[in-house]
Amino acid sequence: MRKLVSIVLLAGFIFYFATLTGGLMIPSASDERSSVGLDILSRTADETGSANAVTSVVVLYRGFDTLGEVTVLFLAALGISVFMKSTGGVRKKALDQSFILKTGSRLLFPLMFLFGIYIITHGHLTPGGGFPGGVIIATGFFVVLLTSESVEFNKTVMSVLEGLAGLSFIGLGLVGLFGPDNSFLQNFLPLGDFNTVFSAGIIPIIYAVVGIKVAAELSSVVFAMKESK
Amino acid sequence: MVNPILLIIIPLGTAFLISTVAGSLKNSTKYLAFLALLANVWISISLLPQVLKHPVNVIIAGIKPPLGINLLVGPMGAIFSIIISVAGILVLLYSFKYIEGEGQSKYYTLFLLLITGSQGMILTGDIFNLFVFFEILAISSYILVGYAGDRNGFEAAVKYLILGSVGSVFILVAVALIYQETGTLNMADLAGKFASVASGKKMMIMLFFITGMGVEAAIFPLNSWLPDAHSSAPSSISAVLSGFVIEVALIVIIKFVYSIFAMTEILQYLSLVGVITLLVGEFAAFNQGNIKRVLAYSSIGQIGLILFAMTLNSEAGLSAGMMQVVNHTASKSILFLVAGYMIKMTGSYQFTDYKGIAKKMPVSSFLFVLGVLSLIGVPPFLGFFSKLNIIIAALAVGNTFNTVMVFLILLGTIIESVYFLKILQIFYIGDPIKGGVKEAPFTAVFPIAIFAVVILLGFLVLPEINIYAGSAAAELFTKIQITQVF
Repeated sequence: MRKLVSIVLLAGFIFYFATLTGGLMIPSASDERSSVGLDILSRTADETGSANAVTSVVVLYRGFDTLGEVTVLFLAALGISVFMKSTGGVRKKALDQSFILKTGSRLLFPLMFLFGIYIITHGHLTPGGGFPGGVIIATGFFVVLLTSESVEFNKTVMSVLEGLAGLSFIGLGLVGLFGPDNSFLQNFLPLGDFNTVFSAGIIPIIYAVVGIKVAAELSSVVFAMKESK
Repeated sequence: MVNPILLIIIPLGTAFLISTVAGSLKNSTKYLAFLALLANVWISISLLPQVLKHPVNVIIAGIKPPLGINLLVGPMGAIFSIIISVAGILVLLYSFKYIEGEGQSKYYTLFLLLITGSQGMILTGDIFNLFVFFEILAISSYILVGYAGDRNGFEAAVKYLILGSVGSVFILVAVALIYQETGTLNMADLAGKFASVASGKKMMIMLFFITGMGVEAAIFPLNSWLPDAHSSAPSSISAVLSGFVIEVALIVIIKFVYSIFAMTEILQYLSLVGVITLLVGEFAAFNQGNIKRVLAYSSIGQIGLILFAMTLNSEAGLSAGMMQVVNHTASKSILFLVAGYMIKMTGSYQFTDYKGIAKKMPVSSFLFVLGVLSLIGVPPFLGFFSKLNIIIAALAVGNTFNTVMVFLILLGTIIESVYFLKILQIFYIGDPIKGGVKEAPFTAVFPIAIFAVVILLGFLVLPEINIYAGSAAAELFTKIQITQVF
């Protein structure tokens, strides 16, 4: 009975939702309404010097949100380490995989690391940036951990890296506070030549910091899970 | 003027700093957290005279809204910011001795992030930014509820996590629909554009938003997580969660309903929900044997009262609601913090085990009495004046509905006084319990005493409180004007 009632309620809710928002996924008909997106698109190249408009939105226009999102990730990693520690359990004996897997993963690791760095440093030019690049680097660590379980990582280094990357993000923002506009996260560096690696002021620097932070956080999640096995 | 963004940046930066130096400083990181919150107290207090004259608009990244993000601080924001910083630093001081064991730096990191999230939610002028800070606040509170690592805490944290996540999805959908319909995320810009949205969609967006935020604000029937979470968390965290976290979520709902959605037709339903929440909380509290569950259910009752006061559609009601927030923050913090050490000393959560504890813990018990009296609303405590103002404001509206509601509120107050007096009777009557029960340490008694001073001497500065609460009410009551901001 309870199941039936909940299904009926859910169906009614979906029906209500569907009738009210016919075409939820379709952008609004009038362009005048979505003025913010168009505005940003038309001025991002001159204003931020970033060839990738998405990056300019993530790092500058809504950079404060990105700082928040990085913090959410930091919190999630912290939460996993708190709960994994408290659940405890017996640790399984470390067991290495076959020689082929081990060698293969060690061969892959530097390539993945390098690719991650490439994605991070070219975030303002091509699709990518700190978040995907950081995930790629963390995946590199994950591959090594999966194949060679006896490998130990230094947890302190990870938490220091996480903290330092967060502090640098805030530090870069605070420099702007003392700039001409007294504005947090102000782009205080010269914009440089459009569409080159050294352009767009603080955008690539912030994205690099985000990349380090994401990589360190996701790796520390993997370590925390490995330790509590 | 000090930039209000520092209210968010200082605790956030200190949280990162603690994570960096935790390896070498170990448990001394708590002093860093203390310094950060000390700075927050000073900044938020120095902000108040400024915002009473004119709301402060802080532009981030040098990009003017609606393209960029801004902070918009009015009297309401500044007052809440003071409540958060002051309650935060006092509870942090209490935590110094209360939180024991290894890895304390994680506790202080989480505590600072909880403060960051609350400050951000109150100060931001952008709805997506509000969502981001909501997530920071919510996730840090999930973790802190389960921080002790015991079975109950873990269960409560998972329950809270599930309900909270469903709530945050509702908020995210509301934000997405708002952006789709109006093309802007800036609150002041939105206040002008929201009127043009079709009325069915308007209602849906508002219901999504209120439902999502209502989970965190513990409005009935979305509050089933609260009794578990607030009673299983470490007592310092219960004090913070009851003291300002649910109020922050509630004030965001109020701010949206009045000044952004500007749909006053929903107010009467909300005030009815408020009274139902109050009665459910008080009736449920009546039958509890676990002292922290009593306090948790009493928080549900109080949040219902605040919701009722703030949805009266009058400035007087909003102003009385703000006063009640201050009263609840101070008195509920006292009760949770005292209960924390009573549980620690006796090893029992049942208040029937605290027979004659007042002889062993005289100061704590006395402070507990003060908290109870202010919560019930006995003169001359602050709680008396805030409840009186709520009732005057409700009767001033003058229809039958509100008169009936006032009766129900008074009924709730009677139930509240019965179960609290029952507890006080156990504290003071009977032979002292055996065992090594002794007074709480100074670092615990001192912050509790400061909360007590607020509710005890509040009536001396009543005119000032009325002015501040009144200007906060006026800010909430009037729609944000885009010309006033930019």
